[in-house]
Amino acid sequence: MPSWRFSFRKRTLDPQYDSELRFHIEKLTDENIAAGMTREEARRRAVLEFGGAEQIKEELRDVQRIPVLETALKNFRWAWRFVRKSPSFSLVVILTLALGIGANSAVFSAIDAVLLRPLPYPEGDQLMRLEQFHRKVQAPLGRLAPARLEDWNRMNSTFQAITGYYTEDESETSGILPEKVTAAFVAPRFLQVWGVAPELGRDFTPEEQRWGGPSAVLISDRFWRNRFGADPSVLGRKVTLDTSNKFSCAIVGVMPPSFLFPDRDADLWIPTPLGGPYTENRDVTWYLTIGRLKRGVSLQQARADLATVQAQLANAYPKTDADLGVSIEPLKETTVGGVRSSLWLLFGSVSVLLLIACTNIVTLLLARAQQREHEISVRFSLGAPRAAVVLQLLTEAFVLALAGAVLGLIVAGAASKVFEFLAGNLPRVDEIRLDARIVLYTLICSVVATLLCGLFPAIRSTRGNLSNSLAKTGRGQVAGRYPLQWLLVGVQVMLAVTLLAGAGLFLKSFQALERVSPGFDSSQVLTFHVTGSYAETANPRTLAQRIDGTIDALRSEPGVEAVATSSGLPGLARNYEVELRFTDGESTPGHKILANNRFISDGYLAATKIPLLEGEDCRKGFGSQETGALVNRSFANAYLAGSAVLGRHLQAAMSNAFLGPGEIRGIVGDAREEAVNREPTPTVYWCGNGFDPDPYYMVRTRTDPMTMTETLRRKVHDIEPGRSVFDVKLLAARLDEAFGEERLRTLLLSFFAATALSLACVGLYGTLSYTVSVRRREVGLRLALGALREQIIKQFLFQGLRVTVLGCLAGWGLAVAFTRGLSGMLYGVSPTDVATLSAVILLVLVVAGIACLAPAVRAARVDPMQVLREE
Amino acid sequence: MPIEKSDLLQGTLDMLILKIVTLGPIHGYGISQRLRQISKEVLLVQQGSLYPALHRLEKRGWLAAEWGESENGRQAKFYKLSAKGKQQLKKEEWNWNRLAGAVASILQTAQ
Repeated sequence: MPSWRFSFRKRTLDPQYDSELRFHIEKLTDENIAAGMTREEARRRAVLEFGGAEQIKEELRDVQRIPVLETALKNFRWAWRFVRKSPSFSLVVILTLALGIGANSAVFSAIDAVLLRPLPYPEGDQLMRLEQFHRKVQAPLGRLAPARLEDWNRMNSTFQAITGYYTEDESETSGILPEKVTAAFVAPRFLQVWGVAPELGRDFTPEEQRWGGPSAVLISDRFWRNRFGADPSVLGRKVTLDTSNKFSCAIVGVMPPSFLFPDRDADLWIPTPLGGPYTENRDVTWYLTIGRLKRGVSLQQARADLATVQAQLANAYPKTDADLGVSIEPLKETTVGGVRSSLWLLFGSVSVLLLIACTNIVTLLLARAQQREHEISVRFSLGAPRAAVVLQLLTEAFVLALAGAVLGLIVAGAASKVFEFLAGNLPRVDEIRLDARIVLYTLICSVVATLLCGLFPAIRSTRGNLSNSLAKTGRGQVAGRYPLQWLLVGVQVMLAVTLLAGAGLFLKSFQALERVSPGFDSSQVLTFHVTGSYAETANPRTLAQRIDGTIDALRSEPGVEAVATSSGLPGLARNYEVELRFTDGESTPGHKILANNRFISDGYLAATKIPLLEGEDCRKGFGSQETGALVNRSFANAYLAGSAVLGRHLQAAMSNAFLGPGEIRGIVGDAREEAVNREPTPTVYWCGNGFDPDPYYMVRTRTDPMTMTETLRRKVHDIEPGRSVFDVKLLAARLDEAFGEERLRTLLLSFFAATALSLACVGLYGTLSYTVSVRRREVGLRLALGALREQIIKQFLFQGLRVTVLGCLAGWGLAVAFTRGLSGMLYGVSPTDVATLSAVILLVLVVAGIACLAPAVRAARVDPMQVLREE
Repeated sequence: MPIEKSDLLQGTLDMLILKIVTLGPIHGYGISQRLRQISKEVLLVQQGSLYPALHRLEKRGWLAAEWGESENGRQAKFYKLSAKGKQQLKKEEWNWNRLAGAVASILQTAQ
């Protein structure tokens, strides 16, 4: 007995065996004594008659043994033999599963990294994003004044600490050429909130965070490597920001490479000192705010707490704080919440794909089990219990699934590379990786696939009547109709139709987007930034002159048609909806004037080709007193219908430094400023520079704009040597990127749907081929009796198509239910668009028809003589 | 001529054991004695076959076993038929009779 045999209860029963056998020997001895033998002789004879007690005991142990490992090994050996014996069958199964599991694992790795894992900071779930909002105005006022941030931090009882930051793109000029850097200006307690320490050096000291204290900067790992060659003695060296006025600060630390906040472009973190002249102003909107909750505090408690704090502030500062509310959301939610539905949609689709793959394999295994019926019944007749046969069939499926999963991991590795490439804009995309969790998930997938694929065929093929199938010779039987296989094929068609319907709707939605006329012309427009600093806004007139100077210089370049600046690009601008009022007398009482507000320079209309309908373009200058404002046609129609438009004066209903008062000098055509897929809303264009130190520059050129890049860069450098030009891109490309997520989702869903359709067709083809092969003899007979070949073709074709049609009908129903959930993701097409669904079904019917044709023709080619001779 | 186990049809020994145990709780020695007596010394079952068969039947739940005192006062393991065993026996007896009948009629016809 080999010692590695793993078994339960091996020796514990031995004493019982001994006494049972001893009793028998004693009885035999008694018998012998009764027959007249001496005691010794009787005993000797009894032992002799009884035979090898040790051998019997071993057999009794065998009865009790449950040889787990041994059976498993044996099953695996058999399964391996089975896999090798039919390589093409195994290959098809393994490849199908590899695709199904691989795609599933790839999407899961994205879901895991983006949605499931906490943010990559210590106890990342405690991090919250805080915003203030104005109760009466729908506007992005979310940023906090430094004074209010300090109040919140001091007065709350639910946060460990609250901090804030804002970013600026600056020029760093300590090197030979100015270099654009992204600097985050941070409020006190910044690193404390993140719970991250610098890799090299130290955090800011309290002195460095006070007005007039020593300057300090933390640099990113990337900046440290690129700019300082990862020099460990970098601490104490200076970084010079030269955008507005020369400003040097000493490096006190280097952050770890994993610290990528606010985004992966952040190079520098610089403290904004407390106690400066600006810190008392409660109207400014500076800081994006982050807080770390105390342990065990719930989101609701934090919300209630901050609401109380803000209510106290409203009492203390009624003028500035009365109408403000506080919103708190988990930082993870605000980071990834937008892509959640897309990712789950993809995961759902890819799981449906895996389901189709499994269904496909079930049909293959069922067909295979029918061929093995004889083998299985022989094993039954030799006394194998049913559980053992089922276990062995499952082991075969598991070996196939495992091979598929291993291959699937390779597929997933490649797929997630493609995914990262396609989804460069996805939040947290650089955290996607294949690690132990994904391997574990893939293994679970393979076990689930085993059960899905293997259990049903195994149970079904071991249920048959033993003597019945033994009696069959395989040749004499009349072919069955295999309703189960056809049902499974129908299910595959149904699922494929559902996925195709989703993909079709997305494609149609994209087409609709491309046909939209947005009201502006994005071709031939180059856009870029020139570094600027918020410090410049202290002197807005100078700032306006600076930017106007740059605009004029660019305009003088030959080949340039128009130049303008704007705080947001057309088609990409955030909605900045504010309530306005007319300063010159009557507007309809009780009629709120809500409008989207945009800030543009002169030349904006020429650069975007938004038509001027009435009046005149913006003027150069500073402040809307001088420059005036334009309104779009929707605004004029909504709020000034039937009365004079030009010459009216507008300003914000609440005091607002940016919005007016200004005179309406022109009416322009409606443009989809907010997004290409949103209808134009009433919009006011406030003219002039001076509020935004870092607007977008838009240059419309007569030739290919990209070829002008270097010329324009040099031009800016000539008049502003301390500033850098960065983020140079075509407007059209930016608009394109804005739909990156939609594109990715459409692309992947189309790919999954196409794969699903191919799998369904393989299933259809395989099942029909199998039916044909089983019914060859019958077909031969019918041909011999005079049936026409066309009839045979028609019959098999219809058998396949009937199932397809039923699958399509079921798929239609499922698609209608499923696509209802897509309505928020579609543009210009209804989720139950009949044209799309009909096109999908037509496509499926055509492809399925082709898949059915080959086996049907093969059936008709049967040579009757040959088949009959085989009998 | 006595018939040894190897000559017995597969499963027949199990049926015979079940049948003998219907008479009441009995130990292994008793079973081998009864088999010999009832079959008039035709069936000689080796202990090497008998005990594994008993344990197999017990494991399948057709026999129940318990330790008790034998007629000479020694501890012995007594087997008795379970409800499941009763059903199994009925099934096997029916099968056997059918087979025996079939074989017999073939033999008679061929004479």
